[in-house]
Amino acid sequence: MGQHLHTLGLGAILGALAALPFLGINDFYLQILFTIGVNYIAAAGLNVLVGYAGQKSLGHAGLFAVGAYTAAIASADFGIGAWTSIGLAAITGAVFGLVIAAPSVRVSGPSLAMVTIGFGIVVEKIVTEWTDIFKGQAGIYGIAAPTFLGKSFTNLHWVIFVGLLSVGLHLLFRSLLSGRFGRAFMAVQLAEPAAESVGISVVRAKTLAFVISAITCALAGALVAQQNQYFNSDFITFNLSIFLLVVVIFGGSGSLYGPLLGAVVLTLLDAWLARWPALQHFTYGALLLFALYLMPNGLAGALSRFFPARSNMAAKPAASGALVAAFTPGNSGAPLLAVSGLYKAYGGIIPVKEVSFEISPGKVHALIGPNGAGKTTLLNLISGHVPEDRGSVIFEGKDITGLPANRVASAGISRTFQNLKLFGHLSALDNVLIGAHLHVGTGIASALLGTPGNRRAETKAREDALALLDELGLGARAFDPANSLPYGLQRRLEIARALASRPRLLLLDEPAAGLNPQETRELGEVIRRIQAAGITILLIEHHMDLVMGISDHVLVLDYGEKIAEGAPEAIRRDPKVIAAYLGVEEAA
Amino acid sequence: MTAILQALASGLALGAIYGLIALGFNITYATTKTFNFGQGAFLVPGSLVGVSLVLLSVGKPHFGNLSPAEMTFMAYTLATVASVVVVGLIGIALYYCAIKPFVGAAGLNWVLSTIGFGIILQNTALAIWGPASIAVPSPLGSGVYRIAGAGIRPHEVLIAAVAIAVMVGLDIVLRKTRLGKALRAVAFNPQAASIVGINVERIVIIAFVISSALAGLAGILIAPVTTASVFIGLGVALKAFSAAIVGGLTNPRGCMAGGFLLGIIEALVGLWRAEFREIAIFLLIIIVLVIRPAGLFGTKTVEKI
Repeated sequence: MGQHLHTLGLGAILGALAALPFLGINDFYLQILFTIGVNYIAAAGLNVLVGYAGQKSLGHAGLFAVGAYTAAIASADFGIGAWTSIGLAAITGAVFGLVIAAPSVRVSGPSLAMVTIGFGIVVEKIVTEWTDIFKGQAGIYGIAAPTFLGKSFTNLHWVIFVGLLSVGLHLLFRSLLSGRFGRAFMAVQLAEPAAESVGISVVRAKTLAFVISAITCALAGALVAQQNQYFNSDFITFNLSIFLLVVVIFGGSGSLYGPLLGAVVLTLLDAWLARWPALQHFTYGALLLFALYLMPNGLAGALSRFFPARSNMAAKPAASGALVAAFTPGNSGAPLLAVSGLYKAYGGIIPVKEVSFEISPGKVHALIGPNGAGKTTLLNLISGHVPEDRGSVIFEGKDITGLPANRVASAGISRTFQNLKLFGHLSALDNVLIGAHLHVGTGIASALLGTPGNRRAETKAREDALALLDELGLGARAFDPANSLPYGLQRRLEIARALASRPRLLLLDEPAAGLNPQETRELGEVIRRIQAAGITILLIEHHMDLVMGISDHVLVLDYGEKIAEGAPEAIRRDPKVIAAYLGVEEAA
Repeated sequence: MTAILQALASGLALGAIYGLIALGFNITYATTKTFNFGQGAFLVPGSLVGVSLVLLSVGKPHFGNLSPAEMTFMAYTLATVASVVVVGLIGIALYYCAIKPFVGAAGLNWVLSTIGFGIILQNTALAIWGPASIAVPSPLGSGVYRIAGAGIRPHEVLIAAVAIAVMVGLDIVLRKTRLGKALRAVAFNPQAASIVGINVERIVIIAFVISSALAGLAGILIAPVTTASVFIGLGVALKAFSAAIVGGLTNPRGCMAGGFLLGIIEALVGLWRAEFREIAIFLLIIIVLVIRPAGLFGTKTVEKI
């Protein structure tokens, strides 16, 4: 949505909130407005988790409960003031977000759904059964509400407060999700190994998303408890978890405005249908069943057709020097990378068997071998995508053995994938920006607040990314979705993404696979330019013309063992290499 | 000691129910990577259709209470067959409405669509049968077997026996028959299965029919224990889901084992503090998944990079 439309919308909402006291709206409608606001607050955070980080939770009623009971107990048992209680609810929400994230980040798919359902049900049972503290179905009475001019909030005050809070949250999320963190969440959702390969910690990104969603759901719970001045265990059901998820998904997950649309439409529908309870349930069922079929991207997705596509902020590519490497070659004879005794077994299959070699800085190294020789596994061991059984990897004198892929990437090694792992429907520019994740110098606080520093860092990153795309001949396609590019350009975009993380060592896994002769020649050129910029390269390749043409040093792997290494010419004549590729006649 | 024996017996019966439903999850998950999140609602027609048929057969209205004398073994058997057939057929509707549009698509739309289908099914049942529950007598009467001092209800033995027979039968079907091989072929690689002439969609529909029929069977089997009502399903199905996940959604025998494990744990914890049953079970599941994300008997799939 355009900047103007956004300002206009915000103005309209703030204007409506300001005019509210003079409209004489009755309590019934005020209650509906309050509910819309609360549902939006809960859904806005949940959208970060579900829509951006791609983690499907069916247990957020549990976090709603954490907030509600924190506020209720703080007020009823400890006499803590309402404002402080809201703050406490957000803090306990964050803590429980960490608690649920710890097991959740380790599993995915249906198991993740199970862990979150389990969490929701455990909370539901605890607040129902542990009546000494939570009072079960009897509930907690007399929960203090905030005061305005010495009087408890009326429904009117509540609507204005929740409205302002919603606007505030919207602005925070809008800033957060349009920048470095929003991209990192999307990267985690779309391709975890690729996110790791450019230094994004999948565990940290998911945990952050869980905590954000936990805070807003806990806030929503606290507000409901305070506005009601009463809370009991009947609020906390599996159905509430489903409802919160439906608000996000029906509204349009992964869209900034989805939760708003979902909260408005579903709350109104709920209120309107309340007169016919039987029909209400049928409607919910039908909504769940057919809405997603008709609108796969929710209301926001369906409505986006009527709005012009987001205009791309004008950003000029930085003048030059996009390929600058931090490393200046030739400082000593020390190897850049030293691999020794690397070993990996999958049951009886041993794809990498005691492999040792060294890579010297500034050169192009090729790793060749017949299919199934263990080349990709070796690359995966170096890049940290697969843990080794034993052996060591030393990079620039630092032991990086056993580090997870994102730490290897931040140490200065980046890679491409044999089977392309681009962030498909994101633009080429966004793919490269994700690659630059480690170098967009902005923290969570400044990203949330959209500080000038954050904006400068984002603008700089954008300019650098555009320059890099230009340099690799992708400039004209910067705003196209990655999966709409021709195959050869997709391969090149992966290289651009890897370069954006400013590696000293670049690992390329069959970069010429599927390319035509023309594209392969161009790839050779690109590799030479990368080398000229001072970046060391290790590439796996079957295309022998390319290998012999560009590499300074060739390593040959067969059945998991290194059988030869040396200059390309020597390798070409090595009898062991010829035997591995062509086979030998057994001496009779 | 007798209390423990008694708990073990009812745990086995309950576990058999979980195992049956969990097996249904496995069969559709293997073939389509989806399963029916609204399976709980499928237990409802499972129990109510059968019970109403018995009621109608003795000349009573479809909703009312049965006297033990009216629930003959024959009547219960026929009710079971009817339930299995009706719920199996509902499975076809489930496939076309809630699964087919979303198979193979990323995301969790199928989770929500199957929940939606379940809500509609449950509320249809509510419109037909109302909210009250029907006490269902067991065809084996309300007597108690005494084994080593422990009182074991004959219906629990019946549940375990029927469920185990069905599980063993399905296990043989999956392993030995043409249909079983086709199911496994589709599970392994739908494209390849299609190339060798297997009608993939037909196999997938059969998978959903089997899965739904198992839920219907579970519904009628459990009715004499829980009573028959519109609201019995959710809790049972959630635990069956847990059983499938803990045992390993990809492994049919793991699903069955998970069911028995959960039933027994639930019964034993209930012996100690009834209110801790769910808390203990779901905490345990979370712990199991953290240690073994693929479940106790599931195989870890290594993503090829």
